[in-house]
Amino acid sequence: MKKLVFGLAAIAAVALTPILAGAHGGASGVVKERMDLMKVMGDDMKRISDMLHGKAAYDVAEVRKAALSIAARGGEDITRLFPQGTDHPPSEALPTIWRQPDRFAALAGDLVTHAKALAEAAGNERAVAAMGSAEAMMGMGAMMGGAAPAEEPATMAPETAFMRLTDTCAACHETFRAEKKSGH
Amino acid sequence: MKGRLLLAACLAVLAVGQAKAAVAQADFPQGDPRRGAYLARMSGCIACHTDAKGGGKPLAGGAPIKTGFGDFLPPNVTPHRDDGIGAWTIADFARALRQGESPDGEPYYPAFPYDSYTGFSDQDVADLWAAFRTVPPVAGGPAGHDLDFPWSIRAGLSVWRALYFEPKRFAADPAKSPQWNRGAFIVEVAAHCGACHTPRTMLGGPDEDAPLAGGLIDVGKRVPAITPASLRAEGWDKGSLALALKTGLTPSGDAFGGAMAEVVREGTRWLSEDDRRAVATHLLGE
Repeated sequence: MKKLVFGLAAIAAVALTPILAGAHGGASGVVKERMDLMKVMGDDMKRISDMLHGKAAYDVAEVRKAALSIAARGGEDITRLFPQGTDHPPSEALPTIWRQPDRFAALAGDLVTHAKALAEAAGNERAVAAMGSAEAMMGMGAMMGGAAPAEEPATMAPETAFMRLTDTCAACHETFRAEKKSGH
Repeated sequence: MKGRLLLAACLAVLAVGQAKAAVAQADFPQGDPRRGAYLARMSGCIACHTDAKGGGKPLAGGAPIKTGFGDFLPPNVTPHRDDGIGAWTIADFARALRQGESPDGEPYYPAFPYDSYTGFSDQDVADLWAAFRTVPPVAGGPAGHDLDFPWSIRAGLSVWRALYFEPKRFAADPAKSPQWNRGAFIVEVAAHCGACHTPRTMLGGPDEDAPLAGGLIDVGKRVPAITPASLRAEGWDKGSLALALKTGLTPSGDAFGGAMAEVVREGTRWLSEDDRRAVATHLLGE
């Protein structure tokens, strides 16, 4: 009798462990790995955003560290975690990933490029009209939809570099991630 | 003799046409193109009428908007005389924005949110007109919409308009703060947030009983509620909401993406901090 109870308890423990240990609604395997990766990147983004927007003291080394942490997780480190057929719940990945693999890979690559650019730009002069209208930075033509003036990486403001990075995150989520009922 | 009469007749017609245009312009105040450009960004003109992803020229026609009614193709609204609105007067422009009618009196589909833009003041219209004239004319653009039957029958719009459209200028609420009212103008008129965030009835009109309570913009694409209660439940406050409209990031650092990514990238990111805070104030009901 004792052996049976013990045995059942052991089986239950083994069966429940992935659910108890898994974040994001019981994810496991690559789904969990990539959710964890995204969470780390989100934390880095939050840290950078707080420093850029006056919620924390701006520290060049900290910004660089967070940006490089993001860069280290892009490119193939993302794409390899999305093998075909892993879009079952609780994953929020859309099947579009495997219909447009080139675009998916390109955005994953852009993430590395823009995160590295942010790391390089971290110590540059901050944008003057940082929190003001984008028009002050880009002018009338860009406001009406024309191309913004080209930015030299060496002198790009960290705010501009950050915007390019957030645009990359958003571009991927726009196409390749399911929308939640309550919003993110 | 006949030639001279003909010439005089032609000149007379031209003169009347010019006079009409001049009178129409005189009905409106002087437009400021910089203010108009800012308003155009806020109002989603650039986002809809430019195919940014496809490398399209500004206002030369937008990517298809896929809905349950079929595909809407935002037209070329550059100053091109044949393919754009180059032959329009400011009165035509005002009529399109605030009455939802073409210069020939044909109703527009409310995918063009004139039920929100009807709130624009004469100054808003004049500013937008001035800004639109600064954009280079471009040839081409979508020829028309690609809608499913029976939505493809434009005459059916008279029903929608009778039920849901009331031309009405925006009026500030004197009981509320100037910041709240600025937010109200942005949310309800220019940025027409309710076009996506307010649930729709079966006939495609906004559900007046549930403003900003969320809905479906297309099959499977849920849009979150942005009522004060919903926003607070999700942990938003004035600061984080105003910032999110610029960065596209939630307080936890997540990029919200979805259909909102384009709204931020091509629209709300361009707003001043004061305006983004005004939107947040209004949405949080403060």
